Amino acid sequence: MEQNMKNSSVKVADTLILGGGIAGLEAALNLANTGHQVVIVEKDLSIGGRMIHLSKVFPTLDCSACITTPKVSEASRHPGIHIQVNTGAKKLAFDAKGHWHVHVQTEPRFVNESLCTGCQDCERACPVVVKDEYQYNLVGRKVAYIPFSIASPRIAAIDIENCILCGACEKACVPGAIDFSQEPVQTEWIVKSVIIASGFTLFDPDQIERYGGGKFKNVVTAMQMERQLVPTRPFNTVLRPGDGKIPDKVAYVLCAGSRDGTVGNPICSQICCMYSIKQAQLILGALPMADVTVYYLHIRSFGKGFDEFYQQAKKMDVSFIKGKIGKISELENGDLMLRYEDIASGKIKEAKHDMVVLSVGILANRDIEKISGLENLELDPFHYLKQRQEMSNPFKTNLPGIFMAGTASGPMDIPDSILSAGAVSAMVTKYNKGFVESIINSLTISSWNE
Amino acid sequence: MAGKTIEIIKTKRKVPEALRQRHKEYLGLRKKIREALADGEATIPQISQKTGIPADQVVFLVMTLRKYDEIVAGDMDDMDEYYYYKLSEK
Repeated sequence: MEQNMKNSSVKVADTLILGGGIAGLEAALNLANTGHQVVIVEKDLSIGGRMIHLSKVFPTLDCSACITTPKVSEASRHPGIHIQVNTGAKKLAFDAKGHWHVHVQTEPRFVNESLCTGCQDCERACPVVVKDEYQYNLVGRKVAYIPFSIASPRIAAIDIENCILCGACEKACVPGAIDFSQEPVQTEWIVKSVIIASGFTLFDPDQIERYGGGKFKNVVTAMQMERQLVPTRPFNTVLRPGDGKIPDKVAYVLCAGSRDGTVGNPICSQICCMYSIKQAQLILGALPMADVTVYYLHIRSFGKGFDEFYQQAKKMDVSFIKGKIGKISELENGDLMLRYEDIASGKIKEAKHDMVVLSVGILANRDIEKISGLENLELDPFHYLKQRQEMSNPFKTNLPGIFMAGTASGPMDIPDSILSAGAVSAMVTKYNKGFVESIINSLTISSWNE
Repeated sequence: MAGKTIEIIKTKRKVPEALRQRHKEYLGLRKKIREALADGEATIPQISQKTGIPADQVVFLVMTLRKYDEIVAGDMDDMDEYYYYKLSEK
């Protein structure tokens, strides 16, 4: 029987996965399809991770959401997978029997999940607008909102920190789903294994003052450009955020916050070259008259089909200049002057563009370090999870029963993330063997799906 | 609980004054933009000039109002540089 206290409960599963991005979902589906009971703990309001927000994937230019959403959908309705969104792990403890006790807290979304139909009446009624983090602040969103159109679950949430408590959402909600009485809910999961698939964070380009990120309105990050290229794009086309002009000359600055010891990230992010080349091609699709120039140090097109993709961009008249950007200056009309060292000629040159995209690097997600009980989890010098046996056992951490998948172990692209999730689920399958059955027989608690 | 829970949270939370002011400011900017478009369609720089709101803020506000169907995008200008925006007929 499940032990339920007010706002807390104890449950059991085979594996708990921290992170509902593509790696976490892939691992969950692999495990659940082999009979394991899996719980996904996702801090965001929706599963799908970063991939669900991308336009296309490289080098195939397949629709990213079209790859992600079937997995999201399958995981959401899989009888062997339990998903807790808006939930964070607070504490992990390892007991003498070799079980992990994972204490998680689900934050209130102030909407009754079983009553919400996703109709957005609350969103239309809400009068308050704040920056939409899912559109990387290019546009606003309401305080009562569906996170994004293909969010899973497609359930509204109230951003209570920005709410003026006017009650308009509650009045507008016909099914009566708005519930401001909700409180945080604690759950203790007893599991055999934990997979950390916590993903990455993006480098904040504001740290590089000479690039003008955050200061110059027409200098955007690659994720902001990515959002401008998706079907649910905030401007419905590609525009300069500074004045709404259709850009004619777009520059990409590669290695913005990667391979740069001065900003604390000396390693290659592995994906920036290729996503920039992808975006350059997509911009030419959206704006056929535009000129796109990529300023790079080295093009690292190391994967299957990557170099052909790079050559394809060149054939589409994307310009590639091997040059180190020294400084970006803003002109009166919002255009941007790039001062750079042309490595081919050895000369300092300047070029004017009307929009600059910083191909920002990725960093380790350091939220994992805040979880109590994981103080002894070994990290590498760049704060990714340390692969102790990189060649023979790359997805095992130094702690028993704790594994890693995707970019939790270091920068990698989507296929490698999915591959790592496949490999780790094979390892975990062996590790878990017979866990839930044995624990249910020995304890007075139930599996979550009973 | 339906229809009554706002009163429960009001006993637990107070709305910060800064949040109220930010909301009032937004409503004022929204009103200015709607007024600027009341006479007909305009580009972002034209709205900025009419209202005195910086162009980057106009982009943010117009695109937000477009998202919530208060504004619709029209054609491009003669130079193919800017779109026109107008109030939605809704």
